[in-house]
Amino acid sequence: MLLSLFPQNDFSLIAVILGMPLLGAFINGVWGKRLGKDAVRLMALSAIAISFVAALLTVSALYGAATATEAAHGGHAEHVKLSWLAWEWMHTTGGRETNVPIDLKFSVDTLSATMMLVITGVGFLIHLYASSYMEKDKAYWRFFCYLNLFIFSMLLLILGDNLPVLFVGWEGVGLCSYLLIGFWYGKTPNASAGKKAFIANRIGDFGLICAMFLLVHYTGALDWAGIENGAGSLVTTAKNTRIHLWPIGGGEFVGRLAFLQPHHPVTISAATAVGLALLLGCTGKSAQLPLYVWLPDAMAGPTPVSALIHAATMVTAGIYLVCRMSFVFVLSPFVMVLIACIGAATALFAATIALVQNDIKKVLAYSTVSQLGFMFMGVGVGAFTAGFFHVLTHAFFKACLFLGAGSVIHAMHARVHDDEKSQDMRFMGGLRKHMPYTFWTFTFATLAIIGFPLTSGFFSKDEILFRAWVNHPVSPYAERVSTLSKGHLHLYEPPTWIGPTLYFVGLAAATLTAFYMCRLLFLTFFGEFRGWTIGRPSALLGLAQSKHAGGHDAHGADAHDDDDDDHHHQEDLSTPGYAPHESPWQMTVPLMILAALSLFAGFLNPSVFKETLHLENLPLDKWLDPVFDEAAKGSVKVADNAHHIELYLTLGAFAAFAVGSYLAYWMYIQKKGEPAKQLAESAGALYRGALNKWYVDEIYEATIINGTDALADTAASFDQTVVDGIIARLTSLIVAALGTILRTVQNGVVHVYAAVMVVGIAALGFFFVVPHPDAIVTEKNGDYVLEAAPGYGYGYRWFPDATGKPLNEIFNGETKLTLHPQAGKTITAKLEVVNAFGLTRAKEFTVERPADPDKNMKLGQNP
Amino acid sequence: MIPVEFYVALSFVLFLIGGVGFLARRNVIVTLMSIEIMLNAVNLALVAFNRGMTDNHTGQIFAFFLIAAEAAEVAVGLAIVLSLFRLRRSVRTDEADLLRN
Repeated sequence: MLLSLFPQNDFSLIAVILGMPLLGAFINGVWGKRLGKDAVRLMALSAIAISFVAALLTVSALYGAATATEAAHGGHAEHVKLSWLAWEWMHTTGGRETNVPIDLKFSVDTLSATMMLVITGVGFLIHLYASSYMEKDKAYWRFFCYLNLFIFSMLLLILGDNLPVLFVGWEGVGLCSYLLIGFWYGKTPNASAGKKAFIANRIGDFGLICAMFLLVHYTGALDWAGIENGAGSLVTTAKNTRIHLWPIGGGEFVGRLAFLQPHHPVTISAATAVGLALLLGCTGKSAQLPLYVWLPDAMAGPTPVSALIHAATMVTAGIYLVCRMSFVFVLSPFVMVLIACIGAATALFAATIALVQNDIKKVLAYSTVSQLGFMFMGVGVGAFTAGFFHVLTHAFFKACLFLGAGSVIHAMHARVHDDEKSQDMRFMGGLRKHMPYTFWTFTFATLAIIGFPLTSGFFSKDEILFRAWVNHPVSPYAERVSTLSKGHLHLYEPPTWIGPTLYFVGLAAATLTAFYMCRLLFLTFFGEFRGWTIGRPSALLGLAQSKHAGGHDAHGADAHDDDDDDHHHQEDLSTPGYAPHESPWQMTVPLMILAALSLFAGFLNPSVFKETLHLENLPLDKWLDPVFDEAAKGSVKVADNAHHIELYLTLGAFAAFAVGSYLAYWMYIQKKGEPAKQLAESAGALYRGALNKWYVDEIYEATIINGTDALADTAASFDQTVVDGIIARLTSLIVAALGTILRTVQNGVVHVYAAVMVVGIAALGFFFVVPHPDAIVTEKNGDYVLEAAPGYGYGYRWFPDATGKPLNEIFNGETKLTLHPQAGKTITAKLEVVNAFGLTRAKEFTVERPADPDKNMKLGQNP
Repeated sequence: MIPVEFYVALSFVLFLIGGVGFLARRNVIVTLMSIEIMLNAVNLALVAFNRGMTDNHTGQIFAFFLIAAEAAEVAVGLAIVLSLFRLRRSVRTDEADLLRN
């Protein structure tokens, strides 16, 4: 029904999905300040809600189209797309002079449909949450303008049918991320965190742009279908299509530099180059090593922003891009393995930092980096569905965790009115009694992320770890390249030990994840509330008491709370503050929905039980399979014993969860955090290193940033000394000197001017009185024609031979003379001109004919 | 009839006198008079040449236009001389160098 309204290749419902958030951003941005908070909230929420409903309709239409095509193809699932061409944007010229149209075209397939649902669905929940969380903010309208704009940009990124449209969205989300991180721009750290995110992303974008250039050059297309069709030309064996790294550009070192010439030039295939460039873009956006540094700092933004942009959606754009361009990545096993290694390294590295952070949002931020690493590991070993499945589940549980943390901060903030202390876990504890909804939802999400059996995170993480062990990326063209190049060219093949290594690194990261997430949970919600001590060490005595006091509107600290316990009064405290309180329904309802999804979304793809329960057609697998079908064909070698070891690998993942969480339980519940303090003291250097994020920011500061600064300083001093000091000053000196000379002429005395005029007129007069003979020589077929320059009152007399007699004794109007010199000979002719005053002047012309005209003729020219 | 060469010679002499007067004299009034002499030398040449044409009076009509232009020029010129005199208490051109450098 829907497809009859919107045809498959002109599915204009996409315009509604994209248009509503844009409209919301526009209205809130332009008139938001005057509309008031209620209207802003209505606009922002309804825009995303309508977008979500349209997305649901689109998915149902897509499902209908997919089943219809599958039935038509006899049960074989096909890659089905709903596309809509907004307008033709521009054209460019690709390799081999092909015309590359770049259209503003959008398409929905199963991959982008899933992302779309997450963005609009989770986006709506977070909008709802933020409508209450940001209640007290003066710039309410600005916040929702940015948030709507973000949803629009993210949808643009997901729905774009070609790389340039994706890039527009990619930049758009980067811009919104920048604007929202620095939302409270009055504080310097926030503003600089925004800048840091922006610049780190720029480095990645550079890679993405390079990838686009390479793709246009090699495949002659930028839309998904076109790139997929032309992907084969990325791995051709022809000599000039491989990219020469050394010597750069395929040159050759000779002479004194010959020692630099290698025996075999170092070359990579275009597929590897494209893959590396894309990977740089993905590491920037998805916060992987070495460009992850911006994400932890991005927590300076409001918490809903952290949940939406820096956990659920934007940071997964890199994984989306890898999935989307899977057919390019699989052509280069080297890049695939590199992606997996970067992912594994990031997962472990970020997890070690998360172990010791005290800021609740910082822990979650490093956890996000770590989980993104898992996703990279998944897609890197060619398990695109597994990696994307983790994107999906991570969107649910990490959004829930961030929103839960926001709820905690919201409660703490009402208590302490200090941005830093309200996020510090050392002041939390025991919150489960004060905010039960937040506690339970947070617990469920934590269970999901640490991989408690049957939760969503268990299924998705287990699948990734399993795939990391058994999958082995190989080039689908390996044999063909080897035969075609007669054994000269061997494509990279990853070593066999890489799979188990990835698995164990992943396992270690998973253990750490279980530990730090449980630590977060226990420190925040269990034990006694330690927030009473903030600013009042003496209140330590009154720890036992913590009555629920004050509602949500108790934000203002100045009101004295007479509901508070007696201890406070005894200690004579001027501002007793309020006990932490549960958040309003706008914040708890999204938490509950997301917690439910984190618990049960795993059953979309319970691949662990595929063998044991004989499950055919896992929903997500079946849904996404057509997208990755072509890419996965022949590019992944699965270990033979995969089915046998799956159970053991799953047990390993379970052990990681059990060990990590038990350790945290023992450390923070049974021993009340004592072992942690002892450990921090005994392993002081390690502890401080992790606490200070392994000094990566300082290393970057010392090397890259200082290097850039030094370069800038050098350039500035060059500018000051050479450009300003010498070039600019010299120019001005010349002008000034000329001015000084010329100024003496202008002495203001009329007579001098008149005298100069007389001299000038006399010179001109002399020029016109004397005739000026001249002629233009043109050659055609060996004939040389001399044509005299015209002048008033001129008469001409030609001498074909300069020393001989003239053609005509009297001067006449004959302006042309034709000469026929023989080959190899020269002729000198003379022209005499007389003017009206009877003065004559003569000029000689010499024409030379080349010895053998045939030798000097160009190819294809008529003789 | 006096040949045209005589007129041209007279015109040339007059023009030379006017030119030298303009370049050599420093009194603005004399300078203006020199310009008048030069213009009238041109007028004389125009009329003298036109005498040879029986069916064309362009030269003579041109001379009339020149006389009209001269009248206007003298009116403006004398006004400038008056202003200059009020400003500088002098009509010497080499002292009127306000626009120097």
